[in-house]
Amino acid sequence: MSYSVVGQSVPRVDAREKVSGSAIYTGDMVLPHMLVGKVLRSPHAHAKIISIDTSKARSLPGVKVVLTYEDTPKIPWNSAGFPPSPGAILVEDQYILSDKARYVGDGIAAVAAVDEDTAIRALDLIEIEYEVLPALMTLERAMAAEAHLIHDAEKNIYGHTPVVIGDVEAGFAAADYVFEDTYYVPKVNQVSMEPCGVALAAPDRDGRVTIWTSTQMPHLVRRITAHALGLNIGQVRIIKPPVGGAFGSRLGVVNEPIAALLALKAGKPVMLKYTREEAFLATESRHPISMTLKTGVKKDGTFTARQLTSYIDGGAYATHTPSFAGPVAGWFLAMYKSPNIKVDNYSIYTNATQCGAFRGYGNPQVVFAVESQMDDIARKLGIDPLEFRLKNHPCAGEVWLWSGWAIESCGLEECMAKGAKAIGWSEKRNEGAGGNSRVTTGAAGTKKRGLGMGYMMHVSGARPMLHETSAAIVKINEDGGANLIYSNSDCGQGSGTALTQIAAEELGIPYEDLVMTKTADTDVSGFDIGSHASRQVYSGGNAVKGAAAVAKQKLLAMAAEMLQTPAEELVVEEGQVWVSHDPSKTLSVAEVAHAAHFGSHGHQIIGAISEEPAGNPPVYAAQFAEVEVDTETGVVEVLKVVAAHDVGTAINPAAVEGQIQGAVQQGIGYALTEEYRCDLETGRPLNPNLADYKILTSVDMPPVETILVQAASETGPFGAKSVGESGLVATAAAIANAVYDAIGIRFKELPITPEKVLAALHERKES
Amino acid sequence: MKIPISLQINGEMYQVQVPVQKTLLAVLREDLALTGTKNGCDSGECGACTVLMDGRPVNSCLILAVDAVGKQITTIEGIGGIAELDPIQEALVAHGAIQCGYCTPGLVMTAKALLDSNPHPTETEVREGIAGNLCRCTGYVKVVEAIMDVSRH
Ligand code: FES
Ligand code: FES
Repeated sequence: MSYSVVGQSVPRVDAREKVSGSAIYTGDMVLPHMLVGKVLRSPHAHAKIISIDTSKARSLPGVKVVLTYEDTPKIPWNSAGFPPSPGAILVEDQYILSDKARYVGDGIAAVAAVDEDTAIRALDLIEIEYEVLPALMTLERAMAAEAHLIHDAEKNIYGHTPVVIGDVEAGFAAADYVFEDTYYVPKVNQVSMEPCGVALAAPDRDGRVTIWTSTQMPHLVRRITAHALGLNIGQVRIIKPPVGGAFGSRLGVVNEPIAALLALKAGKPVMLKYTREEAFLATESRHPISMTLKTGVKKDGTFTARQLTSYIDGGAYATHTPSFAGPVAGWFLAMYKSPNIKVDNYSIYTNATQCGAFRGYGNPQVVFAVESQMDDIARKLGIDPLEFRLKNHPCAGEVWLWSGWAIESCGLEECMAKGAKAIGWSEKRNEGAGGNSRVTTGAAGTKKRGLGMGYMMHVSGARPMLHETSAAIVKINEDGGANLIYSNSDCGQGSGTALTQIAAEELGIPYEDLVMTKTADTDVSGFDIGSHASRQVYSGGNAVKGAAAVAKQKLLAMAAEMLQTPAEELVVEEGQVWVSHDPSKTLSVAEVAHAAHFGSHGHQIIGAISEEPAGNPPVYAAQFAEVEVDTETGVVEVLKVVAAHDVGTAINPAAVEGQIQGAVQQGIGYALTEEYRCDLETGRPLNPNLADYKILTSVDMPPVETILVQAASETGPFGAKSVGESGLVATAAAIANAVYDAIGIRFKELPITPEKVLAALHERKES
Repeated sequence: MKIPISLQINGEMYQVQVPVQKTLLAVLREDLALTGTKNGCDSGECGACTVLMDGRPVNSCLILAVDAVGKQITTIEGIGGIAELDPIQEALVAHGAIQCGYCTPGLVMTAKALLDSNPHPTETEVREGIAGNLCRCTGYVKVVEAIMDVSRH
């Protein structure tokens, strides 16, 4: 199938304004009489508030508003941008400011003042007396029978998501081998370069409030913010300027309700911008999870039973966690076929900052565990790891347990073959159990090399668990150009550009002639779920394509009238309409549109649609890593990553590659360097800054080879599936498996730091 | 206490009244509405605030405005507007090296200084040159490709 602009790596629509520094992000905005907001945060992980005295702060000149829990609506809410479909479990345990400190950084009071210095001085003047309670920083302590309760719930374990297919006990009994391992993944932060948490709220003259905010989900943020403030949805308007990276961190409400309440009380605009430290302290990170996997397998590599028991540390507030437990089960269920499967996921409150979405929504955690264990199983059985996976994964036409629907297309085999070739799998891999590395370097052979791989599947939306509503309007202007009105929740991933390509392709006009809404504005565009679950190109793309198709149909009906030819015989491409069997009979789209506006008719050609897509096609990837482990320093160096991804049709291949390359940076960080740590006694964060929280720099990044496999979907726009999240899902597993290949040691806990490597090497020597 | 100072930015003189402790970054963004320079950490750890001071890249969040007096400051607004981008900017656009764009202005400034002093760097030199500019979106792959590409012309 050949397309005119679909499949082309056109520059992104906002590239020039971003590269020239002229794009205006939320934090760049200024409004007349704008005040600065600041939040007072708890220094204690767990404490009762005995008293708060704000009188000194209130009397400081320049201070306009001081708020505490007493001043907030007594309406509990949940910050997760999770549509309230039947599959959602949304525990409402948050208030705009807290009545009790549940983590270090919990918002206790807020001020709005004429400038930042005054706002900070006002915070210093607020006097709070706390009764400090034990900080429950680990799953074990939070789950202990005698543990203090973090909320008014019976236990700190507040959610259990069970799934039972067949009978795992019978399956284990029928197995030749049973493997049981426990894996732990730490808390990691999204670290968007624009710190998470920037909102500018302004009371409107008509009694409403407008909030410019750096968000992934304009409509759901409108919904939650309105609820938290006790307003009608129509009283809140959300506008989303360019966003400086998100990766899940802005998947729901961040600080919009506080900003809005300050603005409404002040009667003036309030800018509330979190510092980098606050972005660590007070916004959602990726869930730490303890996962126990039990797997029964026959000698020939067939599974008899698979079981996952996971304890999910959701932090101090529920937000996403109990709902998130569902996809965590889904990722596990979907990866490998087995007649018997059991999952038990538990949601647990601790005194850490609440957790939410971070690229993959549980999949990076699950795939690290599953693919680490698969590596061990394949070695034990003496089966090639690629063969082992290809034998057991669900493929096109088979039922995908994530959705319960048939898989539309599957390019995994091609991903495996091409990826293996690119990394040198058959030449470089150490056979059998690791530890006898063929490739050693360094003066005394102290550096050992190894290869590893991991496979993953991911979604193109969250159907059928959630509705994937999108809305689009395409209007053809009188000169033949067009506007696409869409709730553009592009946070940097490039979805705005891909959707523009889709609309131009379907409509049959040049890409340059179609302009998409630069921002999202809930007063302007129809309801859209936003950027989650890698859905924008697939789900949003279907709506955009649908709206363009409706407009095209009307355009052709008009042209048919003008050319006196049935519409079915007309084609439109690149801004020109002609009769398929007589190309000499032709009109430009401009001529048709002009006639519609000002000629024989008096209307604009408009196509509008609100719908959800028909499916949710899974994407597949095989990632390969080559590492070198320095056995003297414990340092693991990644020499190369090969990321072979089946994304369906790549609407913009350069943008797709960019998504994968950037995700791999985050995946390597997850494997080796990133961990948001706190003092286990006090709960004080140890590294809420970019000096101590290590993301990879340009010198740390190895070469990344991306391979795009395009197994087109049936239900996606032009066969597209998805890419956003999947680029990092398998990376940590590939690296951990490569480390095993190099030195024969299995790391079941991330990140694999030099200290852990040295300790493990030392322990092996001792035994 | 505010003091009056003159700053030379992008070839123009600006008179501002600033508290002595105010950073160059804050003055650029708040007093002069030059918001192309971004704030990613306010503590010298990310490079989003990079500007050129007498041709050398500096983190403007670590420089007091009063210490920038008498220096030639160049910000992203000083190199190429949307209509006439610098070749480095054109290369970043063409290579798809921009995603969220928040790191981009700082990166452009660093790359500019790098190529001004070393027009034909090796890939390693490029990677070392931009190591202070954190990017969370691109994995630096297309960024490095773009800078290498422009250095070849
Ligand atoms: S804002 Fe200056 S280095 Fe991050
Ligand atoms: S493009 Fe987003 S941080 Fe670099």
